[in-house]
Amino acid sequence: MSNHPLIQVKNIDLHFGSFHALKNVSVDFHAGELVGLVGDNGAGKTTLIRVLCGIHTPSAGEVYFDGQRVTQFHPSLAINQGIETIQQSVGLCDNLSIARNFYLGREPVKRIMGIPFLDFKTMRKTSTEVIREFGLRDNVSTDDEVGRLSGGERQSVKIGRAVEFKNRVVIMDEPTNHLSVREREHVNELAVQLKQQGLLVIYITHDIFQVHKLADRIVIMENGEKVEDAKTSEMTADALEEVIRQGGRQVEKRAA
Amino acid sequence: MTNIYFRRLLTGQALGSVIGVSAMLVLFTFIDFNGWWNTNSLANVLQFSAILGLLSMGLALVIIAREIDLSVGSVYGLAGVSFVTLEPVLGVPMSFVAALALAALIGLLQGLAVVRLKLPSMIVTLGGLFSVRGVIYVWTGGTVSTFSADARTHWLTQVFGGHFLGLPAVIWWTVLVAVLLSVMLLLTHFGNHLLATGGQQDSAESRGVRTDHVKLATFVLCSMLAGLSGIITLCDNPQTHVTLGELMELEAIAAAVIGGCLLTGGRGSLIGALLGTFIVVSVRYELIALGAPSSWYMTFVGAVLIAAVIFNQYLANKVNRSL
Repeated sequence: MSNHPLIQVKNIDLHFGSFHALKNVSVDFHAGELVGLVGDNGAGKTTLIRVLCGIHTPSAGEVYFDGQRVTQFHPSLAINQGIETIQQSVGLCDNLSIARNFYLGREPVKRIMGIPFLDFKTMRKTSTEVIREFGLRDNVSTDDEVGRLSGGERQSVKIGRAVEFKNRVVIMDEPTNHLSVREREHVNELAVQLKQQGLLVIYITHDIFQVHKLADRIVIMENGEKVEDAKTSEMTADALEEVIRQGGRQVEKRAA
Repeated sequence: MTNIYFRRLLTGQALGSVIGVSAMLVLFTFIDFNGWWNTNSLANVLQFSAILGLLSMGLALVIIAREIDLSVGSVYGLAGVSFVTLEPVLGVPMSFVAALALAALIGLLQGLAVVRLKLPSMIVTLGGLFSVRGVIYVWTGGTVSTFSADARTHWLTQVFGGHFLGLPAVIWWTVLVAVLLSVMLLLTHFGNHLLATGGQQDSAESRGVRTDHVKLATFVLCSMLAGLSGIITLCDNPQTHVTLGELMELEAIAAAVIGGCLLTGGRGSLIGALLGTFIVVSVRYELIALGAPSSWYMTFVGAVLIAAVIFNQYLANKVNRSL
């Protein structure tokens, strides 16, 4: 683990109209680290990662990526920097084939007389390899529309895509929802594997016990604030769960 | 490439309109064989289909992007009027360019209002429909303009308004545009982004697709196609009138929807839009040929539209393979 953080979030605030979604949040994320981001619904976990992947621009505060201050927030910029996000409800277009979804936004092209055409051969070949590796049924072809897939298969496509493109950061937002027990284990193994390859993995979940087994560090959010940031080697899952149960009251106690 | 496109045609959104056109041709063969299957009728129907088809294809693109453009009839009219009235000053080639640029500008302004101000395209382009029509009235003062003899025989006027291989030139232009746009939609990354934008905009954005740019380009393209259609119409018959293109927006939308474009976005094809146009124009032609009162035409188009939507929705649920 290097000393200077890959992503540094410094005192960011985010308002949606009168709603204060993030309150003075500061977190450091290092390369080669698996960080569990935990909290109840509406705690601000998803909002925080939406800042990191460029969907929201913070109202105040600073974000540094690889030591550079981030001045513009846009999903395409984040993707170009190698920040891949696997989100609960977005990421796949039901009306497009697996192959087309796989390469959406970074389509390989083949020039014919100078005109860039989609390189379907590469798109099919690579995405077929990946979806087979991720256990999609043999009768599923990469020409099939994503709308046909089960929840687990959809998740596999997204994770496969995140693995395939050489990324530096993979953010997983509730990656094991709607998955069978075996699929869930597979996804979790994958998260650890990504970390071992030197990537930063941010793993968002409700389930503190599941993520405690995988993560190096746990960050707990509550009401838009960071209420805990501890190494898993220093705090047990039960102790962390207690923090969540207290709903951040522990912080007030410490502050007092 | 052809193989991919062929499969898309058979399994994709054009299937409904292929079946529709087949059924219609069988019907016309039985009820009016001699009246329908002669070169005069077919050339007539094809010419009007080609003119309306340019508008329908533009709308197909906009509908695929999950937007709508109600202004195409007025843009068609304004492009035609400006082409003819600017000709004495600019000459044929420059007035052609100016008319097309004007159409593009209208598309750009409407597109900006939709993506920057986040206004519903239904309202923005309804405003466009009225205000552009108003500009036509102001511009012409209600008078009729025609081309001079020189302008009529100009090579450019002939290239767009004349005949080629025995068919009106507009048919060839529409086929060319259909091929180019289909290639763009199905085989380029812009097409992939367009389908994704209409399918699930937030997912497309999360992959870094600039859906605002995609929509803007689509509105400009749609307006330019309407403008091109107006210009070509006047190349063939260079006489302007203030009602030029009125109600064409509704026919074009009907044609695109009959051709399998779903207003919920992300689904549709240009070939389908063309076939839908062919159905709309053929029904009108055949009703007149059979001596039905022209007022029945609206009723029939309405009935065909509703039947097609039901059928296409059914097909869309059945067919879930894409490229």
